[in-house]
Amino acid sequence: MDVLGSLLDGFGNALTPVNLLFAALGVLLGTAIGVLPGIGPAMAVALLLPVTYAFDPTGAFILFAGIYFGAMFGGSTTSILLNTPGESASVVAAIEGNPMARSGRGAQALAAAAVGHFVGGMIGVIGLVVLAPLVATVAVDIGAPDYLAVMVLAFVAVTSVLGSSRVRGFASLAIGLTIGLVGLDALTGQARLTFGVPQLADGIDVVIVAVGLFAIGEALWVAAHLRRTAQAPIPVGRPWLSRDDLRRTWKPWLRGPFIGFPFGAIPAGGAEVPTFLSYVAERRLSKHKDEFGSGAIEGVAGPESAASASSAGTLATMLTLGLPTTAIAAVMLAAFQQFGIQPGPLLFVNEAELVWTLIASLFIGLVLLLALNLPLAPLWARLLRIPRPYLYAGILFFACVGAYAVSGQPVDLVVLLVIGAVGFLMRRYGLPVLPAIIGVILGPDAELQLRRALQIADGDWATLVSTPLSIAIYLIIVALLVVPVVRRRMTRDDTERKDLVGS
Amino acid sequence: MRIGQVLTAVAAVAALLLVPPLIGAAGGGGDGSQVRGLRILVPNSPGSGYDLTARTAATALEDSGLTGSVEVFNLPGAGGTVGLGRTVTESGNDRLVMSMGLGVVGAVFTNDSPAKLADVTPVARLTEESEVVVVADDSPYRSVDDLIAVWKADPGGVPVGGGSSPGGPDHLAPMLIAQAIGLAPRDVNYVAYDGGGELLAAILGSKVAFGVSGVGEYADQIAAGELRVLAVSAGERVAGLDAPTLREAGVDVEFTNWRGVVAPPDLDEQARAELVDLLTALRGTPQWTEALQRNGWTDAFLPGEGFGAFLTAENDRVADVLRGLGLAS
Amino acid sequence: MRVTERPAPEPARFDRDWWRARSELGVCALLALAGVLVLVDSLLGTDAGSDSDPLGPHAVPTVLGIGLLVLAALLAVDVLRGGHGEAEAGEDVELGTPPDLRSVGALAGIVVAAALLIPILGWPLTGAGLFYGAAYVLGARSFPRDLLVASAVSLLTWVVFDALLGVDLPGGPLMGVF
Repeated sequence: MDVLGSLLDGFGNALTPVNLLFAALGVLLGTAIGVLPGIGPAMAVALLLPVTYAFDPTGAFILFAGIYFGAMFGGSTTSILLNTPGESASVVAAIEGNPMARSGRGAQALAAAAVGHFVGGMIGVIGLVVLAPLVATVAVDIGAPDYLAVMVLAFVAVTSVLGSSRVRGFASLAIGLTIGLVGLDALTGQARLTFGVPQLADGIDVVIVAVGLFAIGEALWVAAHLRRTAQAPIPVGRPWLSRDDLRRTWKPWLRGPFIGFPFGAIPAGGAEVPTFLSYVAERRLSKHKDEFGSGAIEGVAGPESAASASSAGTLATMLTLGLPTTAIAAVMLAAFQQFGIQPGPLLFVNEAELVWTLIASLFIGLVLLLALNLPLAPLWARLLRIPRPYLYAGILFFACVGAYAVSGQPVDLVVLLVIGAVGFLMRRYGLPVLPAIIGVILGPDAELQLRRALQIADGDWATLVSTPLSIAIYLIIVALLVVPVVRRRMTRDDTERKDLVGS
Repeated sequence: MRIGQVLTAVAAVAALLLVPPLIGAAGGGGDGSQVRGLRILVPNSPGSGYDLTARTAATALEDSGLTGSVEVFNLPGAGGTVGLGRTVTESGNDRLVMSMGLGVVGAVFTNDSPAKLADVTPVARLTEESEVVVVADDSPYRSVDDLIAVWKADPGGVPVGGGSSPGGPDHLAPMLIAQAIGLAPRDVNYVAYDGGGELLAAILGSKVAFGVSGVGEYADQIAAGELRVLAVSAGERVAGLDAPTLREAGVDVEFTNWRGVVAPPDLDEQARAELVDLLTALRGTPQWTEALQRNGWTDAFLPGEGFGAFLTAENDRVADVLRGLGLAS
Repeated sequence: MRVTERPAPEPARFDRDWWRARSELGVCALLALAGVLVLVDSLLGTDAGSDSDPLGPHAVPTVLGIGLLVLAALLAVDVLRGGHGEAEAGEDVELGTPPDLRSVGALAGIVVAAALLIPILGWPLTGAGLFYGAAYVLGARSFPRDLLVASAVSLLTWVVFDALLGVDLPGGPLMGVF
């Protein structure tokens, strides 16, 4: 198969003025909608779907691809500036990005996110081109035991973000797991912790939890301890990434895709787990560990790059297998079908021209996304100069719009407020917020995969270590747990010996 | 407080009150023969099946001139029962309809919803889609008989994959098949996946022995020879598929995943007839025919009382299965 | 082991200061309450589902419920030994002062009021009230300007969501009058 030739043809088709316009429009619309609270990439595409009937398929998909990447990026903008994640993949960006913005490094955080999206997307789309056939064969071999092993790995990684007091870290994790439990059990349909409220039957969306714990919790906390003395406006700082920033971010940018792309490509992967894993990895590898939690740029660069690459992985699986691994992919699949095109094994044969044009337009869209958003970063950052009452009232307002617009139900504002109150108490008593978010993300997934694995094996526990991948991951986990202990013991032995020699 | 300030405040409140209705009115229009101000409630999120049906119907209604502008709005939650609850509270409102389908029937039981389908006014069934029993290309099962023989011998060892949660179409279909061949629903090892995509990977990777899903989801994989269809669940064979119906294969089950429209309770006879007539007219429009074709939907139009009787029958059948699983009382 | 560290007489341990210094015990109580709730909920649930699901829908909640109770106990021990969580600092936060719970309650009340009023007054009016009220509680006192900002933000949001994107936000009592 002449991949390069097909791709060049694709660029030839995509680089028409009209298609370029579609790409630019898509990126712009996507970013704008991604910034709006409560409307994630999936909803953005679903809402714009009816508009595109009039277009030819190529133009429509170029538009969708632009919206997809644009919305993923737009979500991180509100995460960083307002501590209000627009969608689940940008929850992690708030953890380091918002403190950066508060200390006058908003432009840098946004730039790190923009470049991270660009690099992650580029590497991801290259992965799509090169690995698409491989993805198709590997993705279906990954089963519940493998997913469970990854979840266990993620839980082990959580221990590194528990904070200074272990018991408080675990308490926060347990709070997250409890919130994650709410809703109908996915396997049996049994209601759990819904208290007969139908609005709780679908569980509480992780975005609502994140917005509640971060944004509402913070607004309440600030209200309780408002600095009544005159406040200096948040400094805007330098507009661009400094040489030192670049030195700290280029590795996370490049590492992110290797975590993000595989997760995007596998059926139950998604973008939340890889962003979190990337965050933990960067925290471990960083030379500035002390800055984590108060605005470490690596913690924005890595996860954002991973999120973007995971979108590319999602597209790879959708195009080659017709297999939607995320909500947005499912919506795009429906869009394909609207045009009488069925993604799947035959797509590259039947619709080669369209596919390669789409892939070429992904590259173009990413370039446009960077070109549009890098100059905008310093402007966005100025948003924080508005007076404090407006800033926090605005955060509260947008959090509520987001919660209400998605479901159209006033009850969700109350749910948001209750979670916000939990966030308030956690701030008051020094419980770290991050483990709770991770509990909400990982808990339901881990339970589902564990039970699904056991069910498929008809109750045989040996199934959990029945695949090479799961065994490999468990070995890595053992290594992660044992190596630091051994190393500590060895250095202790070392120092003891030195002490002996010394005395 | 100065006069100017008071005036500003009054102006602001007036703008908040007046601007939205003015913008809303700008989009209206149309002549007197049209049904005006119709709203369609979608009980799940944008992009879902009911949403697609509703938006497609709304576009066809507007384009064919049967109605003025139709507003589609989403009220997702609890498998559609949140929306159902809302419809029930809109008692007497003849300008609201809800897009729904088989999934809502099951969700009423699994969510223990206080709003029941018996409360609403049935308007019409619109479309249906056959379910298919599929296996991977390299599966040992070549026919429904092969499968049933092994399944009956060791139900626990034959995991069934479906793309819907318990109570949904992909869950009900294998349960009904199991009942028909003498297996208790509790013995069925049903593994729920999050939609057809995740399920597809599980079937192709042989994580489950067989899968049950809507025929439209896997058309391409079937054409490519990656999936083999053992049977279709509808009463008649599906065009383009070389597979028997379940009946032909010796399993006495006929089952489709249908979608339709219901209205709030307590409509007077005239209002009810008007809605039924509207949808009957919709079905006759070229716009709707074209939309059916584009989306690969099968027409299954059944208006008014016929749909009501059908709803009752479906409700009983679903209740029976879910009772066997401890999900309905 | 902590017997020796505090020679204070027994009755004094239960005075108000003692409790105020250890208000974190309230967190323990909440955790324990959550644990009991999770356990009761899982015990009351019916035994639904397939016989092939060996864990069933209640195994994980049971483990989690017990975990919550254990954590509540461990945290209580930690607090009684003098451990305490560090309240979160921040640019806009002054930790020296006692918490202004009236402001917190006012904000919460505004959100609840918004939830109740949206179906009646529609989004533009409720949203403006939400923004204005929150800004007022947080110290904004420039009367016509605050209201104008709130109205503009709320109205613009409605236009973008409802009129442009088709996401349903109720427009208010006058919808459909024209």
